[in-house]
Amino acid sequence: MTRASPDPAVRIKGLGRRFGDVVAVDSVDLEVRQGEMLTVLGPSGCGKTTVLRLVAGLDTPDAGTIEIGGRRVAGGGASVPPERRRVGMVFQDVALFPHLTVHDNIGYGLRHDPDREVRIRELLELIDLPDAGRRMPHHLSGGMQQRVAVARALAPRPDVVLLDEPFSSLDAALRTQLRGDVREILRAAGTAAVFVTHDQDEALTLGDRMAVMVRGRVEQVDAPEVVYGEPATPFVSTFVGTANLVHGEARDGFALTRFGAVRLVGQGSGGHRGRGLVVLRPEHLEVIEAPDGPADGASWRVLRRRFAGTEILYEVAAGDGERLWVEAGHAVRRLRVGDAVNLRLREIETVFFGAGHAPPHSTGPSGERAQRLAQRPDALDRLEVERIPEDDDDLADADVPVAPEVGRDLGR
Amino acid sequence: MSALARPRLPLRPFTRSGRARTAGDDPRAPWPLAVTGLVIALLALLPLIYLVIRALGVEGDALGFILRPRTIGVVVGTVALGLLVGISTILIGVPVAWLTTRTDLPGRRTWAVLTAIPLALPSYVVGFAFLAFFGPRGTLQGLLAPLGVERLPSIGGLFGAVLVLSLVSFPYVTLATRAAILRLDPAVEESARLLGDRRMTVFRRITLPVLVPAIAAGALLAMLYALSDFGAVGLLQFDSLARAIYLQYGASFDRSLAAVLALGLVAMTVALTAGEGRLRARAGTYATSRRRRPPSIVALGRWRWPALAFCTAVVGLALVIPVGTIAWWMVRGAMSGQPVELLMDVAIDTFLVGALAALAAVLLALPVALLAARHRSRLARFVESSAFAGYALPGIVVALAMIFLATRTVPILYQTMALLILVYAVRFMPQAIGGLRAALGTAGPRLEESGRTLGDGPIRAFTRLTLPFLRPAFLAGGALVFLTVVKELPLALLIAPIGFDTLATEIWDAASSGFYARAAAPAALLVVLSIGTVALLLRAEEAER
Repeated sequence: MTRASPDPAVRIKGLGRRFGDVVAVDSVDLEVRQGEMLTVLGPSGCGKTTVLRLVAGLDTPDAGTIEIGGRRVAGGGASVPPERRRVGMVFQDVALFPHLTVHDNIGYGLRHDPDREVRIRELLELIDLPDAGRRMPHHLSGGMQQRVAVARALAPRPDVVLLDEPFSSLDAALRTQLRGDVREILRAAGTAAVFVTHDQDEALTLGDRMAVMVRGRVEQVDAPEVVYGEPATPFVSTFVGTANLVHGEARDGFALTRFGAVRLVGQGSGGHRGRGLVVLRPEHLEVIEAPDGPADGASWRVLRRRFAGTEILYEVAAGDGERLWVEAGHAVRRLRVGDAVNLRLREIETVFFGAGHAPPHSTGPSGERAQRLAQRPDALDRLEVERIPEDDDDLADADVPVAPEVGRDLGR
Repeated sequence: MSALARPRLPLRPFTRSGRARTAGDDPRAPWPLAVTGLVIALLALLPLIYLVIRALGVEGDALGFILRPRTIGVVVGTVALGLLVGISTILIGVPVAWLTTRTDLPGRRTWAVLTAIPLALPSYVVGFAFLAFFGPRGTLQGLLAPLGVERLPSIGGLFGAVLVLSLVSFPYVTLATRAAILRLDPAVEESARLLGDRRMTVFRRITLPVLVPAIAAGALLAMLYALSDFGAVGLLQFDSLARAIYLQYGASFDRSLAAVLALGLVAMTVALTAGEGRLRARAGTYATSRRRRPPSIVALGRWRWPALAFCTAVVGLALVIPVGTIAWWMVRGAMSGQPVELLMDVAIDTFLVGALAALAAVLLALPVALLAARHRSRLARFVESSAFAGYALPGIVVALAMIFLATRTVPILYQTMALLILVYAVRFMPQAIGGLRAALGTAGPRLEESGRTLGDGPIRAFTRLTLPFLRPAFLAGGALVFLTVVKELPLALLIAPIGFDTLATEIWDAASSGFYARAAAPAALLVVLSIGTVALLLRAEEAER
């Protein structure tokens, strides 16, 4: 169903939308290619849903233009109403028509289609509910309802399908399963899609490419592995995955950190010079157990531990107050709070942010801190001043093993 | 009959899935509670049971009576009244609901409140006000007299009855429709637009069909109100079944024939109630909004003026004319030296009956609420449904049955205050059950169990721990019963001892004999109480949500 047209499915240029004093969308440029799934990741309130509603025509932009399938639909004098945009949408709360059967829900947009019945049957097969046509929406489970909503949106063969956090009201197990289902369905249909979410797993696993938004702006658009491996800004590095930002000095495509030199990748990696920040993922550092006692010269101490199923993350602190999140392999015995460890840099490539970016700082698993900070307009600027509190230092470099209750305090 | 004597949405029994079952819930009630509950259920069902017995024992040709042209005429008239009220309440109620939820109408909240108040006005008060305003020698004629208008056409009959009953019962449609609109996720309409429909098409294909069950449920409640009404049809002299029953009873050749008519009326109300329940369940499954995104607002533009004119007309007819007319006649009465002491005596008598009935009603409601909240046996369900079934009977039917019963079986009770208060208490206790049940839900059995483990006996634990939680529900329920009883007409008219007047019977007597000035003062008092009732009901609804 991919069209032979060279135009992208959606092209957004300089898009802006404000609500009173709040800038919800701030000069956003974005392209959705034919047949691709673009995920948009951002903390709640970052403007990602507003972008979707602007594309759908449910809201009107204050600035910028939107093209769908090469046709201008908003901005520059154009204002195509939603019913003529050829856009399908799947909403957070499903929004099936409660008074119509599954069959009539899917067929709703096919009023003038001579092959209506064939198309409905086709879609019922596609969403794997071939016999559900006569059932009413409220008799279906949440997952089934969401599949019907996808089929309904796909039925009139739209140029693009917009999905607005469609799984956020479902439980975790169902969400994972439905994620796979919907990806299959959309791939089979070959329709371009924009999938908005605040769940980074969803954005990373589902997207052909992903866009990261914060405070109404797009920070980066790239393939998920590139966004993770070569984040464009400190915010992206800490929001997508867990990241430590440590001081480094760049030169000739390398940066020198307290752990040694790392090879730099990403945009302009060869041209960096001078002091800046280096992104170190937890898996970039090897944890080496120090024998008992501080006399060994171990420089890091375990502050807290976070078990995430497939991996164990430890937050460790150095004598100078620097804190990092590191990942310990299974070879390492389970560490306890207060244990002394050494860290060694693995052979890696990573990115460097020159002067003007935020100072050394690490985030907890899943970027919770970045999420929290991103809620506040001035958050990123405040990273500058939010240094690790002084009174934590003496705990971290205490001579005696840190007592458990101290660890608990630190975990506060 | 008074507006609040009808079953109302927040006062219905809870559904079976009302409360999650937790470990330790005993489905079987202790026997003293079970017996008490059964006795109350029996009391509530007594009018219906006795009516059936009486109708079966009719002497002479019952079939001939039913097939008499006059009987058939009354039935046809009643059906016509119901249908016309149903249609006109939809025509008034739906636009009001839509304007106050989905448009930028100026003063939306104020309009919403003003259009809810008429529901609490007793139908006979509005009927009296319309007679006194539009009637042959009414206020309007007085205003038009300088223009040479000697006489206005009569406001009575079907037209007057439909007008008055529609104006007091359209809020049923407004409230049901408003609730359905607010429960409709805006994304549903947005989806329809993205699938290719224009705004008007979405309204026709989606919005309206989704709201239909709620609108119809509201209209059926209005029809139920119209069929059960006694006061307005009585004053406006329209022969609906309710009035025919009263007249047949008064004619007293064969009072059993009145019982036959009453059973016919009961059959109609049962059908309407069943239909309303089904439609309301359907409306529930159509509720799609989980996050309460506010509905999208339509800019009225030039249509603002017709919309404002419409709302003004509705409030003018349903509120301003009745209240204004009553005030006008009250002033006229006061200037012509209408005695105030008489009103004081009647008011005190009425409030006394209301207070005693309210006390008795909450006491009767407690065992029913306990059974319903704590025990999930078939007996508990039977007791609760019986209590509500008695509540759903038209007042005139209950009055008739209780007179028969008292004269035949316990003549000592006949014509006593005790009987009147008992009947009131049994009839209106459901108004207190809902709140008590909800309160018992928050003060669960775990509370008493913890008291028991600390050394209290079962009764002591209940009085020390649970009872304090029920205080607000007792007060709210009691207040509601009080306000309802104070406005009640048919039972007061037929059961109260001879010579005992309530505010309602005072208005009835004066208005039906054309003494408008004498009826105005008690009517004004009831209007003030009614507005208090609306405030109370709105609070009760909030609390039960």
